[in-house]
Amino acid sequence: MEEIINKAVKTKRLFNELYIEVRKDDFKEACVYLYGKKRAILRLMFATDEREIDTAFKIYTVFSVPGTDKFHIIVLPLKDDLIFPSITPDIPAAHWYEREIRDMFGLTPKGHPDLRRLVLHDSFPCNSFPLRKDWNITEPELKEWGKGLVQKEPYSFMKVEGEGIYEIPVGPVHAGIIEPGHFRFSAVGETIFFLEPRLFYTHKGTEKHFESMSFFDGVKLAERVSGTSSFSHSTAYCMAVERMAGIEITEKAKAVRTLLLELERLYNHIGDIGNMCAGTGLAVGYAGGAVIKEKLMQLNERLAGSRYLRGMNEIGGVSKDIFIQADDILNIINEVTKEYKDFMKLLTGTVSHIERLENTGRLSKDIAVKLGVTGVAARASGINDDIRKAHPHLLYDKLDFEAHTMARGDVFARMMVRAEEAECSISMINALLENRYKGELAASIKEIPPCSSALGYTETPRGSVFYWVMSDKNGRPLRVKFRSPSYCNWPAVPFAVHGNIVPDFPLCNKSFNLSYSGCDM
Amino acid sequence: MEYFQFLIILMLSPLIQGIIRKLKANMQGRIGPGIFQPYYDLIRLLKKDMVISGVTSWIFKATPYIVFASTAAASMIVPVITTKSPFDVMGDVIALIYIFALGRFFMALSGLDAGTAFGGEGSSREMTVAILVEPMMMLSIFTAAISAGSTNIARIAGSGLLFSPSHILALSAFMIAIIAETGRIPVDNPDTHLELTMIHEGMLLEYSGKYLALMEWAHYMKQMLLFTIAVDIFFPAGISNGTESLALASSFGIYIVKILFMAGLMALVESTRAKIRFFQLPSILGGAFVLALLSLLTYIMMSK
Repeated sequence: MEEIINKAVKTKRLFNELYIEVRKDDFKEACVYLYGKKRAILRLMFATDEREIDTAFKIYTVFSVPGTDKFHIIVLPLKDDLIFPSITPDIPAAHWYEREIRDMFGLTPKGHPDLRRLVLHDSFPCNSFPLRKDWNITEPELKEWGKGLVQKEPYSFMKVEGEGIYEIPVGPVHAGIIEPGHFRFSAVGETIFFLEPRLFYTHKGTEKHFESMSFFDGVKLAERVSGTSSFSHSTAYCMAVERMAGIEITEKAKAVRTLLLELERLYNHIGDIGNMCAGTGLAVGYAGGAVIKEKLMQLNERLAGSRYLRGMNEIGGVSKDIFIQADDILNIINEVTKEYKDFMKLLTGTVSHIERLENTGRLSKDIAVKLGVTGVAARASGINDDIRKAHPHLLYDKLDFEAHTMARGDVFARMMVRAEEAECSISMINALLENRYKGELAASIKEIPPCSSALGYTETPRGSVFYWVMSDKNGRPLRVKFRSPSYCNWPAVPFAVHGNIVPDFPLCNKSFNLSYSGCDM
Repeated sequence: MEYFQFLIILMLSPLIQGIIRKLKANMQGRIGPGIFQPYYDLIRLLKKDMVISGVTSWIFKATPYIVFASTAAASMIVPVITTKSPFDVMGDVIALIYIFALGRFFMALSGLDAGTAFGGEGSSREMTVAILVEPMMMLSIFTAAISAGSTNIARIAGSGLLFSPSHILALSAFMIAIIAETGRIPVDNPDTHLELTMIHEGMLLEYSGKYLALMEWAHYMKQMLLFTIAVDIFFPAGISNGTESLALASSFGIYIVKILFMAGLMALVESTRAKIRFFQLPSILGGAFVLALLSLLTYIMMSK
């Protein structure tokens, strides 16, 4: 570690974040050192356009070393030469991040094995980089793009050739009420040989949108990035802004946030377990899961006025003390605990259902580690990684819980990890309700310090979410980067379904239960 | 009157579908749509315009008529409330199974015709299932046919056989055949929207409007027809042998009770199981074939 720091141009420390700015020649070496020697996990990689402040584009790679609550952030400034060495050949988890950086900033990762566009689709013009500060677009231009007059970059799917291989294109419009995504299967009979998903149909320019609003209004946008993880997203966002502003929220606010995060996890996990039954055609199980989920969502509505817990978070704390409704929460939780136990008994007792889950959609630990898979999917493949444990925040260091892992990595493991975590959430909610917490609901922040930055993070029901915020000279957002768990886990789906049969794909997909909107940004 | 007993199947089959759906909804804790919903669906579809892919051939347009007509023809040769059928001479089980096969053949062709991925998948899977189901269905009916001394369904039903061990085995095999033929769980999931998992529904994906109405209606009829064959062969008690109106009325009442029992059984099976993995279908259908074979052997051994 010393070696890297000695070679660094400059270093900066903020809470548990260590920024190490390196020269271009040392960049790859530093990343590979952390990844290879320290077994660090690549959490996030992104670029910023800091030409106004520092006359350079910068690339940030955020690593966290297991066992320490510390983030090592390697920073690479790019001044004139907009090419940077790709770390993907050594750290496969960086593959999407680097492609995204190229799409959005026009910075080219040299040595990346796949330089097709990722986020931007065919009709978006080449050489137009939307996250650059000097990018703008006029209405006539937009119309022109729509007509297809601008030079487009066609996307070529990977071709699998051989006897008996045929392609099945699925989507982007699906039969159910779900989000858009295109899946290109190459199958041999019913067996999936290769799957290439093409996502980012719901790319909405959310990161650019954040730059146009104040940090305080950004909470509302963060809540809407991914519907079922609304509260986790806004918590991570608020945390980043609060750390940047240098304030510590009160114990009360921490308790409310922790409680709501667990309530969000609970309704998601139970709903997801129920949804897996739709994949196996067990309608009774699907309905059972939906009933319990509905009870929890109605509780959410009574607590927050929103079924998705929106409007609860604000910069500096929370907007309402939900502990005054502790009785209501306890009643529902007790009721749900009983129903949930019966529900799990029904599912685990239905042999035909369990038989479908076992050995389906197996994701090996090796691949999961390489792709930087996070959350339930990672823990079901034997990776003991939970942001609540790895980087304790809110009240998680005071609560008694474990990160549940299973080694088998199949659909069944993903269901059981969810089941155990749901039980764990119930006991955490009960433990949280036993105590009293002191302090104001929210600290008041009026000003955000200029030219500063910070990380915010938490564990959503799907996995880790990260926000990185930076303010400009006037204390307005210069860059808001976020990475949802779906972004890490989507690339793992093709590996999990390889060798499975086509009719089992929906089940595998449901066991990951990834968000399109959260991934597409 | 006896000329028109097939109209019972034609007119009541959507109702049976509605009842099964309602029962399933109740077992899932839902209220569910009313039992007449399939009629409303058919009426709605019949009023709608069709969207037909430009690459389809005459097969796509002919198939709904062929499927509907073949199912209607099959229902004419099956005794519903009286064994005195005017189409008696044609009422052979082997003919019946091949009339079904005709419809299925064209349905599979139409699935391929539009050239979509899901249609082809549906057709290929349907044919895989058909290969496994047809012999077992024949075999289980043959057991009853041998003991009745005829392959004519009216005569099998009219022979008023009592229950024997071989019948129970044959009935079990036949029930599994019905589940497979009607595209129900654990073989296929009729309620799914997941195209990749579809078998029967996959072939119908390209159909809309009137054609879809015909295909759906034919499917409801086929389901009720299979129920009718099952009760004719395995519980013929109560079916009228004459054409007097009083006997026909009581026969009709008994018939309805039997069909409702079958519908309830289907709903129960569907609600308690998950769909089986596609490649494990041969084991369940193969098992049913063994049951059918055993029933035949049992009959031969017991009759000696």
